[in-house]
Amino acid sequence: MIFFWMGLSAVIAVVFVILPLIASRGREPEEADDSTPAVLMDQLDEVQRDFDRNLISQAEADAATVEIKRRILAAARKAGPERSTSSSSGRAALLIAAVFVPAFSIGYYTLMGNPDVSSLAYADRQAERAEQQKIQELTDKLFARLQAEPDGGASEGWMLLGQTYYRMGSYSKAVEAFETVAQRDDATSAVFSMLAEALIQAEDGIVTPRAEAAADRAIAMDDGNPAGTFYKAMALEQKGSEFEAHDLLLARLNGADGFAPWMEAFVGLANNIGERIGKEPISLTDFAPAMAAAPGPTQEDVAAAGEMSEADRSDFIRSMVDRLATRLEDEPDDLDGWLRLANAYKVLGETDQAKEALARASTLVAGLSPDDPRRDAVNQAMQELN
Amino acid sequence: MIPEIGHFALALALGLALVQSILPLIGANRGKLLWMRSAKATAIGQLVLVGLAFAALMRSFIVSDFTVYNVAANSHSLKPMLFKVAGTWGSHEGSLLLWTLILTLFGAGVAFFGNNITETLKARTLSVQAWISTGFLSFMLLTSNPFDRIFPPPADGNDLNPLLQDVGLAMHPPLLYLGYVGFSIVFSFAVAALLEGRVDAAWARWVRPWTLAAWTFLTGGIVLGSWWAYYELGWGGWWFWDPVENSSFMPWLLGTALLHSAIVTEKRDSFKSWTILLAILTFSLSLLGTFVVRSGLLTSVHAFAVDPERGLYILFLLTLTIGGSLTLYAWRAPALEAGGVFKPISREAGLLVNNLFLGVATGTVLFGTLYPLFMEAVTGEKISVGAPFFNATFIPLMLPLVLLMGIGPFLSWKRADIPGVWQRLKFVALLSVLLTLLVGYLTRGGPLLAYIAMLLAIWLLMATLKEWAMRIRLFDVPFADAMRRARNLPRAAYGMTLAHSGLAVVMFGMIGSSAWKSEEVRFVTPGTTVAIAGFDVTYEGVERVRGPNYFSDRGTLDVKRDGEQVTVLYPERRFYPIAESSTTESAIRSTLAGDIYASIQEPAADSADESGAWILRILYEPLVFLIWIGSGMLILGGTVSISDRRLRVGAPRRKAAVPTNATPAE
Repeated sequence: MIFFWMGLSAVIAVVFVILPLIASRGREPEEADDSTPAVLMDQLDEVQRDFDRNLISQAEADAATVEIKRRILAAARKAGPERSTSSSSGRAALLIAAVFVPAFSIGYYTLMGNPDVSSLAYADRQAERAEQQKIQELTDKLFARLQAEPDGGASEGWMLLGQTYYRMGSYSKAVEAFETVAQRDDATSAVFSMLAEALIQAEDGIVTPRAEAAADRAIAMDDGNPAGTFYKAMALEQKGSEFEAHDLLLARLNGADGFAPWMEAFVGLANNIGERIGKEPISLTDFAPAMAAAPGPTQEDVAAAGEMSEADRSDFIRSMVDRLATRLEDEPDDLDGWLRLANAYKVLGETDQAKEALARASTLVAGLSPDDPRRDAVNQAMQELN
Repeated sequence: MIPEIGHFALALALGLALVQSILPLIGANRGKLLWMRSAKATAIGQLVLVGLAFAALMRSFIVSDFTVYNVAANSHSLKPMLFKVAGTWGSHEGSLLLWTLILTLFGAGVAFFGNNITETLKARTLSVQAWISTGFLSFMLLTSNPFDRIFPPPADGNDLNPLLQDVGLAMHPPLLYLGYVGFSIVFSFAVAALLEGRVDAAWARWVRPWTLAAWTFLTGGIVLGSWWAYYELGWGGWWFWDPVENSSFMPWLLGTALLHSAIVTEKRDSFKSWTILLAILTFSLSLLGTFVVRSGLLTSVHAFAVDPERGLYILFLLTLTIGGSLTLYAWRAPALEAGGVFKPISREAGLLVNNLFLGVATGTVLFGTLYPLFMEAVTGEKISVGAPFFNATFIPLMLPLVLLMGIGPFLSWKRADIPGVWQRLKFVALLSVLLTLLVGYLTRGGPLLAYIAMLLAIWLLMATLKEWAMRIRLFDVPFADAMRRARNLPRAAYGMTLAHSGLAVVMFGMIGSSAWKSEEVRFVTPGTTVAIAGFDVTYEGVERVRGPNYFSDRGTLDVKRDGEQVTVLYPERRFYPIAESSTTESAIRSTLAGDIYASIQEPAADSADESGAWILRILYEPLVFLIWIGSGMLILGGTVSISDRRLRVGAPRRKAAVPTNATPAE
């Protein structure tokens, strides 16, 4: 459908290029007259009118008339027979142009266009909004029920509510829900790190003293909770203690055994800070030799990577990523693969390519059922990149 | 799908523009009629395709298709429909698309109606026009694509700045662009004439309606912007010498010079090279205006550097256009034949002096606008050049110009006799002095400059009316006879009379509202009465009201004079929750004598909030309404002048088949 309309507009463009060919067929086009004498004749009339109206004297009128007449003569002399070759010559150039215009546009569009992204009018997204509305109602109901319960509601209920609010982007409401649990005796480290996270989001990324206190509590209760350490590092960074923040992140990374998903975020933040304070960039493979065990490096690869120099290692990672990218070109329907690729690019700091991979992922997501968790994964990754 | 078709249509339009920038030009040089003719078809084709793209974008805005990034960033599903539509050109990308649409519209206009210019001039003009559209289309496609997509779409859009949700402002950019881009045609004609090596009366006459049309639109755009600032910003001023305003004012000033210079080229075959230079410079300033505003260069040199890709492209285009055309000018202009000679005292000389004043004034504004940018770029220091600079430099340049404007129309071409002119004007001069004394008596005190300006404005009005009266020989011949003459007067003459007297009326408004303005700013609680300029304004209180996408605190002000009710004013403070920002809606009571202008603001302190105190600002601006009336006269003058039959004379009989309403630029 879309290609039909594009084709039609290309045809329109081509028609406009070759129109002179069609129009000139069978008749010799007439020449346009030079209009200079007409304008000058009109000026003669004007002088006469001005004279009639007593605006100028007889002498002035005569002088003006003589001068304009002289110009008419001059113009007539100049309009020599500087005339063209026959109208039929040069057809080839027009035909070349007629090929060039669509070829150029299709070439450009192939590079820059998004033909598979459909358009979605706001009015046609009722279902999506209804879905959101339903979630909203459910959360509201949950909130009401939790509040109505005599013991203040189950902690699990409040945590679920907080996480739902967080995902909906209602960060201040999420803070309220987490806080309710945080005040209880059964509050775990995770409760405090989630609270810290929600507090930071509510302030658009600023770590307030309240958020830092929550992160401190999370570490105090369980120093293995990476989220607590992460937000603590952010707090330190924002307070200007970049070295301390960097050390904290590295210490936690070194203390980990084996790869864990949170390490990517740690490496990203550490490199961000490191760049400003002049530290060597670190790489995920320093800490997680078993990274990306899934379709990619074999045990041997990983072992080899461990013995490589810094430069070799980054080349190695690059080649892994490239291999994944090539494979995905052949199997473009592999949603998980695209997500992994996007993640890899993100870690390498290549945001544009990460976005591209996510765009591919999002086209696949469109075909999934609305409650598929991977939908959220793509959305979230998109938002993080933008 | 529809946004993608728009995107593709833009690419096709660029393809056509590329063909049109080369083929007709070579055709004109080699005398290949077919190639020259192709310009006409491709120019119309460009309009069709860019129009398609524009329609696609507008449709995306109307249905709130948030898969288009531009729509998501600049619209919202709750926005009133009018502003959804206006959102099409509200953003950087959209306004570029509008610019290009208007560009192709004018190009197609030349292609369609230009049957009375020579084939070679037309081909060259359209080629030059295509260079400009190539520049803009490629700029748009490479750096500012209005059809960038985003998927999955955000739940709702980001709204448009509520300050910009205003009918006046919705119409402001299109008018301004019609003005800016109108000058592109004149520029193309000028460059084509340089390539052709021929400038004659027909050329000048062909250029004039386009200049007039562009000038009229630009005037409308500037006035609308100024009017918007007056009633929306809540400061009660109508001109702030803001860089954005300046960048639209500069092409206006030079365009005014161009308008007058083109008359000399047409009537006297003189000023050719000067007219061409003005045409080039006017469009260069239009480009500078568009780009400087669009690139964010004005906010700060650093904002420009944030997006170096865009900025560099702009710089490249500007350098190419201005540098290229001026080089061509330097190379070809000396070859143009000199035209009619004239004496130092003549209408030509008068117009030359007018041109010089306008040119110098433009230079002054340009300097004041760009100087802070250079300073920031070189020293890193941020300075601002404000109203005091412009008042001190611009006004002294304008006043002698106004004096001259009164005399100019009385001068005859080639050589004029001063005693004769004085004979006709001495009563006007005397009357003006007397009227100024009367103003002095009525106002009792004010700045000297205000009285000088008042004298000149009255002089201009009187002299313009006298010139009209003379033309129809009012009081010389029986009244009915004079009226018959008045009816037969060419429309261009009425255009001049309207525009010149319009400027005088604008001046009255400017002088009155600057020199004799009164202002009161107070903390008010319900019941407080503020006395201003003979009015007693009582503050009754504030209430909360709801609008379609905002809610507002609306104040009630009871205005009395000598105990008698005059009017009730409702200034508002609106809050837009989605955009999380507020706007001021001032309440204005306009009369010819002056405006009462009221705006309210939230109290600064919380304690004041509890006591119900608000900050009330009341202004009395005498005569300010005359600015809008006078501006209307300027616009009307331009319109009447375009409709003059003589501007269509190029090929008077040949176009008989074309209906009269299909003439260019009408």
